[in-house]
Amino acid sequence: MRADTARAADGTDDAKQAIPENYPDGFAATAADRRALLVLSSLRGLTARRLLALSVSGPTASACLATIRRGAAGSESDRAFARRLDPDDVSSALEACGARSIAFDEPEYPRRLDGLKDPPAMLFVRGVDLREVDPVVAMVGARNCSPTGAEIARDIASGLAREGWWVVSGAARGIDAASHEGALEHERTVAVLGCGIDVTHRVAKRTLLGRIDRTGALVSEYPPGVPAEPFRFPARNRIVAGMAEALVVVEGAAGSGSLISADHAIDLGRHVFAVPGPVTSPLTHAPHELIREGAGLIRGPDDLLKDLGVSASGASRAALRSTRGLTPEEVRALDVLVTSMLPEVVAGKMGLTLPEAIALLTTLEIKGLVRNVGGRVEPVHVRAQA
Amino acid sequence: MYGRVLGVTVMGVVGHVLTVEAHIGRGLPSLTMTGLPGASVQDARDRIRPAVESSGLEWPLRRVVVNLSPGNLRKEGPGFDLPIAMGVLAASKQVPAGNLGRYAFVGELTLDGSLTATPGILSMAIAASRRGLAGVVVPAANASEARLVDDLDVVATSSLREVVAFLRSGNRPVGPTPPVTTHGGDDGRSIDLREVRGQARARRALEVAAAGGHNLLLMGSPGAGKTMLARRLATILPDLTRAEALEVTQLHSIAGVLSSPGLVGERPFRSPHQSVSLAGLVGGGSSLLRPGEVSLAHHGVLFLDEVTEFRRDAVEGLRQALEDGRVVVTRAVGSVEYPARFTLVAAANPCPCGYAGDARRHCPCPPNRKQLYRQKLSGPLLDRIDLRLDVPRLSKGELLGESPGESSPAVRERVQIARERQRARYASIGVSCNGQLPGPLARRQARLSASAEALLAKAVESLALTGRGFDRALKVARTIADLAGAEQTGADHVAEALSYRSAFDAGDLARAG
Repeated sequence: MRADTARAADGTDDAKQAIPENYPDGFAATAADRRALLVLSSLRGLTARRLLALSVSGPTASACLATIRRGAAGSESDRAFARRLDPDDVSSALEACGARSIAFDEPEYPRRLDGLKDPPAMLFVRGVDLREVDPVVAMVGARNCSPTGAEIARDIASGLAREGWWVVSGAARGIDAASHEGALEHERTVAVLGCGIDVTHRVAKRTLLGRIDRTGALVSEYPPGVPAEPFRFPARNRIVAGMAEALVVVEGAAGSGSLISADHAIDLGRHVFAVPGPVTSPLTHAPHELIREGAGLIRGPDDLLKDLGVSASGASRAALRSTRGLTPEEVRALDVLVTSMLPEVVAGKMGLTLPEAIALLTTLEIKGLVRNVGGRVEPVHVRAQA
Repeated sequence: MYGRVLGVTVMGVVGHVLTVEAHIGRGLPSLTMTGLPGASVQDARDRIRPAVESSGLEWPLRRVVVNLSPGNLRKEGPGFDLPIAMGVLAASKQVPAGNLGRYAFVGELTLDGSLTATPGILSMAIAASRRGLAGVVVPAANASEARLVDDLDVVATSSLREVVAFLRSGNRPVGPTPPVTTHGGDDGRSIDLREVRGQARARRALEVAAAGGHNLLLMGSPGAGKTMLARRLATILPDLTRAEALEVTQLHSIAGVLSSPGLVGERPFRSPHQSVSLAGLVGGGSSLLRPGEVSLAHHGVLFLDEVTEFRRDAVEGLRQALEDGRVVVTRAVGSVEYPARFTLVAAANPCPCGYAGDARRHCPCPPNRKQLYRQKLSGPLLDRIDLRLDVPRLSKGELLGESPGESSPAVRERVQIARERQRARYASIGVSCNGQLPGPLARRQARLSASAEALLAKAVESLALTGRGFDRALKVARTIADLAGAEQTGADHVAEALSYRSAFDAGDLARAG
């Protein structure tokens, strides 16, 4: 049912037509065709799915563009825009932001995307050659994630990247950002944007995207100037899922976009993994749902690497928690604090008075080992030591 | 024909004894008032003649001029009915002049000549006593209030007729003379800290707030119990001293909110609604100046529930009161000062939906909206709140598993001892508790142990403590040490103090950075 809703967005008229699996051979064979694709990618109403449908009647990109300009397809505003837009403007804008275009039949185009029902005819890329980006794991999850969720995502991404895997995600805040951050430690991450390749749609993300741009790659199916709009994010998710051979869901509330990404991955026959959490937390709804449907349960990077057929190197199996510099009392408090607890519960279990327990927990907070969330204390997820 | 009696008016909380002169001269029957009578005094003109005539006395059918002196003070309030009537009766020789100069007269008349309860009697009685008068003649309903003043003859009367009888024959009206009562008091306390289930950390924070006179911010989801906690802060504050109780009674009497006659024995708890205006909160009004909620909370607790929903100007208006313990209200009619030293308890949701950080409900608020919401709480106000606390919504198991906590009197005892320590220490610098210490003094008075200093230094780095956050932690740590009876502030005290931070502190960081 979820898959249906994901696809319902693509419109109703398409359903009547037979849609080919992929673009016809020679669709973007000539330079003129590639120039036509620059224009076609800029059209707001022309999804990859509609372009595929159009390619039945016109076997090249130029022919499709001509059809639209003639007024035989596409929306009113798209037709007007297609007539007006000069492909040279698009190429110079691409050049200005240091991006390149990759048509679906070029060697750099990720072949994994061919499995999608509606692969983008053209991708816009900044950064490393996409042929280098292999092997790849996609990571998705809640934007409003918990601090623990972010730490786990970061930990998994970092562990994957250290073992040579690339991490692809959607450049949103929350789990996406944490995954990118983790993988950035080993400079192996790709961000798929839901907007034009030149637009960094949120100022706060500028630094993160900037660093990904320098060490990894930014990918988008939209040429420069396309603004971020909500309807583009599900479309972006299919590229995130499509580029990777496995997908990890860290946190997601009921009905979250993570489930849509997981559906794409399942349709593509990719492995899906999910990180469990407390059943009482609303943010574990999506991962638990997926685990019940057969997704692999992973607790951290080691589980994932094992399931992917790579055994973790010894380094990541180092002691989980260093007890150096801690008093015996503090170590005992960390042993007691297995999950999120009220300070008085910690006090009760340790046989301390409440003020003593509060003081002890705050000392641990200063050392970065526990944190206070809404009046409860929880252990900080300690990362595998590198 | 000329007569002269004494009345009292109240400016702010201070009573002023005034002379009310009456002259009966030739001319058409009329009553003219001079000497800056306010609207409420002008109002008395048409009330007095029927009151006099209903009492079986005679109203002079000639030109009557009443002068209130000194003429530079604006006179307000219905308490002038009785002195004006007495002035006219004295001028028409219907009462003997014998006792007129030794008593002050206060009270509002009704058309049938009876006296009704009048606000501000306690301040008036104090003024009369200071002036060296023998006594006051007051409405019987306010008598117990006036009797709080030592060595003052209080004549409680229920009608104009009784006042005249007293002046003519010295006969006091017979009636029940209720003993001076202190209402509220220990056994009268209706709520107790013991009733709070769970929330041990919040109870502890209340104790620290009470012991050091610190303002408190409670942050938590709806239903966490913020209001319940705030109400109980007043029950663990030290008992009111007699001087404090008199001040509170005066203020409540002036505002007309005295719930029962006699001395207020319980620390006030005021909880104004979010829609309160600036004048309603800090005092004022256009013609009749009135103490605001901050003054009604004097020596008690002012609780602002959903503090982010209050009008911004009203919340900003709290700053003077928080800083100086008093408010000065200036209007066209003059400028008055009301005392306002209270403990502020502010409560807020952590985000617009109210469920950020909640263990069982998802919060969909995006970070920028959370940020905007938190910025609504003005920085300067937040700076004056030493203790910030996240109050979690408890599960049923957590509520039931918890054994009942200590009762208010048990906690109050410790609070009282901690307050004594502070009073002794700060006797020379004019503050009474840690919460009132200005930052630089707090640093000098902290008496940190070596390990406490090391911990603070570390905290500045890892918790990104600002300068103001640092001072706040010092003050709170000092209070915790006072509660523990420790001479030095130890690392444990500092660590506990540092735990009283909250998500609103993120706004702190933004301003500092």
